[in-house]
Amino acid sequence: MDIGRHHLALWAIAAAGLFVLPSLVGSGILRTLILANYLAIFAISWDVLSGRTGYISFGQPFLIGIGAYTTAILTKRFDVPMEISIPAAVLVTMVGGLIVLLPALRLRGSYFALVTLALMELCYQLVQVIRPDITGGTRGMSGLPTLTRGASNGYYLSTGLMLTIALTAWMLMRTRLGLALSAIGMDEGAVQGAGLSPTRLKSFAFLASAFIAGLGGAFYTHYLGSIAPRALFDITFLFTILAAALIGGSGTVIGPILGAFFLTFLLEWLRPLLPGAERYFVYGLVALLLYMYQPAGILAIIERVRVRLFGDSRSG
Amino acid sequence: MTIALGISDLGKRFGGLVAIDGLSLAIDDGESVGLIGPNGAGKTTIIGLIMGELRPDSGRIDLFGKDISPLGVAERIRCGISRTWQIPRPFANLSVIENIRIGSMPDSLRGMIFDRSDPIRERELAMSVGLAKNDLERKASDLAMGDLRKLEMARTLAAGARILLLDEVFAGLTVGEIDHIAAVIQNLRSRGITFLIVSHDLPALAPLIDRAVAIDRGRVIAEGPLDDILDHPDVRDSYLGR
Amino acid sequence: MLLQILIQGFLLSGLYALIAVGFTLIFGIGRILNLAHGSYLMAGGYAFFWIGQIIGLPKIIGVALAVFLGAGMGIAIYRLIVRPLKGDRIAVEIATLILAVILQAAIVLIFGSSSKIPHPLVPGVVRIADTPIAWSILVATCASWIILLSLYAFIRLSHTGRAMQAVSMDPKGAAICGIDSNRIDIIVWSISGGLGALAGVFFAGYTQLSPSMWVTPLIISVAVVIVGGIGSIMGTLAVAHIIGFMEVIVTTLIAPELRGVFTMGLIIVALLFRPRGLFGREEI
Ligand SMILES: Nc1ncnc2c1ncn2[C@@H]1O[C@H](COP(=O)(O)OP(=O)(O)OP(=O)(O)O)[C@@H](O)[C@H]1O
Ligand SMILES: [Mg+2]
Repeated sequence: MDIGRHHLALWAIAAAGLFVLPSLVGSGILRTLILANYLAIFAISWDVLSGRTGYISFGQPFLIGIGAYTTAILTKRFDVPMEISIPAAVLVTMVGGLIVLLPALRLRGSYFALVTLALMELCYQLVQVIRPDITGGTRGMSGLPTLTRGASNGYYLSTGLMLTIALTAWMLMRTRLGLALSAIGMDEGAVQGAGLSPTRLKSFAFLASAFIAGLGGAFYTHYLGSIAPRALFDITFLFTILAAALIGGSGTVIGPILGAFFLTFLLEWLRPLLPGAERYFVYGLVALLLYMYQPAGILAIIERVRVRLFGDSRSG
Repeated sequence: MTIALGISDLGKRFGGLVAIDGLSLAIDDGESVGLIGPNGAGKTTIIGLIMGELRPDSGRIDLFGKDISPLGVAERIRCGISRTWQIPRPFANLSVIENIRIGSMPDSLRGMIFDRSDPIRERELAMSVGLAKNDLERKASDLAMGDLRKLEMARTLAAGARILLLDEVFAGLTVGEIDHIAAVIQNLRSRGITFLIVSHDLPALAPLIDRAVAIDRGRVIAEGPLDDILDHPDVRDSYLGR
Repeated sequence: MLLQILIQGFLLSGLYALIAVGFTLIFGIGRILNLAHGSYLMAGGYAFFWIGQIIGLPKIIGVALAVFLGAGMGIAIYRLIVRPLKGDRIAVEIATLILAVILQAAIVLIFGSSSKIPHPLVPGVVRIADTPIAWSILVATCASWIILLSLYAFIRLSHTGRAMQAVSMDPKGAAICGIDSNRIDIIVWSISGGLGALAGVFFAGYTQLSPSMWVTPLIISVAVVIVGGIGSIMGTLAVAHIIGFMEVIVTTLIAPELRGVFTMGLIIVALLFRPRGLFGREEI
């Protein structure tokens, strides 16, 4: 792999730009960027599982919620420091990933999506009734410890986390493992016929996805400092994650990130025009139209524009 | 001669239907056997049973004298046996070379992540089944049927197969493509690969096999040189229907 | 107590069958899961509310508008989403889920996010075996039963119904026999939407109107299809009673908050242990 000099320069400029950004823009934009970073993490976690293996998960909020609730309960109720509670949350989420994996060993496609949807709704109901003294019941919990103070620190932390996850995922997906995972999405039986164990590959994808979801969920909770069941185990939250990955371009790492930033900023710009939940109307229409007529997402549009402008010479 | 693939007293039912009925078969190392029989005779089912995709109700399957009944599909493939499908199953969105790469991967996450792929071997495999150089980067979904069958063979060879089970290799091919595939099979035979070939196209099959086995309703009805078998009254009956 | 459970169970289950039947029909003819099914109920409920309480016209007009709106939505979903996606089931699932979120937002845009209490279809209360029962609920259940039985008769006896059965069993074979499957699809999608919206009018009498009211009926419909297997009307009725009764038992004997837990658990367990459904493969 040879990285040209101008590539290095580009990366350096990008890194410097990200670094000085907080002193250039207001804290409002920084907060939007933070949200976009977390949404990007969630969308990547969805894509590692669903975008590659074709097992469409409607239960990503279930995984994120497990991570978020574990660390919230540990820190709030048991005074566990965050350095321990966050890794613990990730581990518990990976156990949750195994729960989601279980149906995937028996069911394909549309049924699998339904089980995960049911899992998410089940969690929403259970969190409210089982030990509300611990989970905070319907109202959730607030006053959780936060990792950072101020928008710019939150920005650095979330950007660092998102880029680390994205880079790791990207490098992993460039290997033959990434190829094999995509092959599962095309024809699982033929993957088996090529001498690879689909169960092992799926387990990896589910655990990796749960790892990212748990990590993102835990950090996100400690950014917000509060947690509520309806904000986590919710179809609108699921929709936002799905839309980010699909709009950006699933089956890639950069796609979900693009989609997350596009959607978060779209949401921000719509705020003055459409206050409240109505924003989801426009949001949803954009997502639906793009999904119906440009299933490969924004990434494909950008690629087409690039080809139109600069010809079909690939530089990277 | 060592027996490469030994099947004894194999049985398989689908609900009330007896698909394979106490079938026995032995293939020597380096031999090429044709498997013929009318539609629904159980040919594809036998291949599925040998590969471990289907679970037999009775009987055992030996590979070079070793009982492979307890092994899963991936393990059997590692023992050197692979199949192709009646309807080819390429990874449609991947390129030809990526398809072959999937076949040549080690079945361990570690190996997939850290070991490098071997582009030279991948190219050689593609060439050895007669795929053209400028096809390598094409998407598998753009290939014609003949090239798809070649691609499947390359993928199975990539997995290190010494015994190939080919299901209806000539189905859906043009005359020219049939000649191509036949030449590829002959070439592989000369390199000592063992074959079990299912085909309805008997004239095309004839030069590729040492002997043939005719089955009907999951049972062997005749065995021997193809010409003799075709004269066998049971075989005629089964093809014409009783 | 027992009698109360029995009565309430029957009342609820009849409505659940009506809620799910459209979803089952769609699943039956194309194995398609329309996750916007709950939105028919929401649209129907709000349409009824709009006519009766905002415009101030008679309720029966509200019911009629609801049914037409639902049928129209059904056809629109079929033409604009299902057909262009060429029956890719996972894509349809994703697209209809997004649509449901859009429609939820549309309701917030039009009616606001606070919940609304529609006037009952028929005012008043009767007492049956010491249990007070709202007339509107009794009417809803009776209407559901009548509709389901007529639908059953329609599918069994009419020409179109037989064609529906044929398409459900073997789409290719039906096409060879000269059945215009496109026409059948349109009919089934409009029936599904119309019945869903009507169920919404009834359902609103049980709960309230709110922009997120589509989720519960969707989960119920999913459970019916999953547990019942390939949807038949009789299977729908049977499973709707299992779910309805379990819900009533759980809410009266254990805890009202656990209402939905059982349904969700049922979906998960059924899919894991009986992926083909309790009643296996059946025609519509
Ligand atoms: N998964 C299955 N479930 C039920 N029955 C099956 C299954 N697979 C095959 N069968 C039945 O078993 C019998 C043997 O099928 P098989 O596919 O092995 O035949 P074949 O010899 O390959 O026929 P063809 O020449 O048509 O490919 C047929 O009657 C078929 O209908
Ligand atoms: Mg066959």
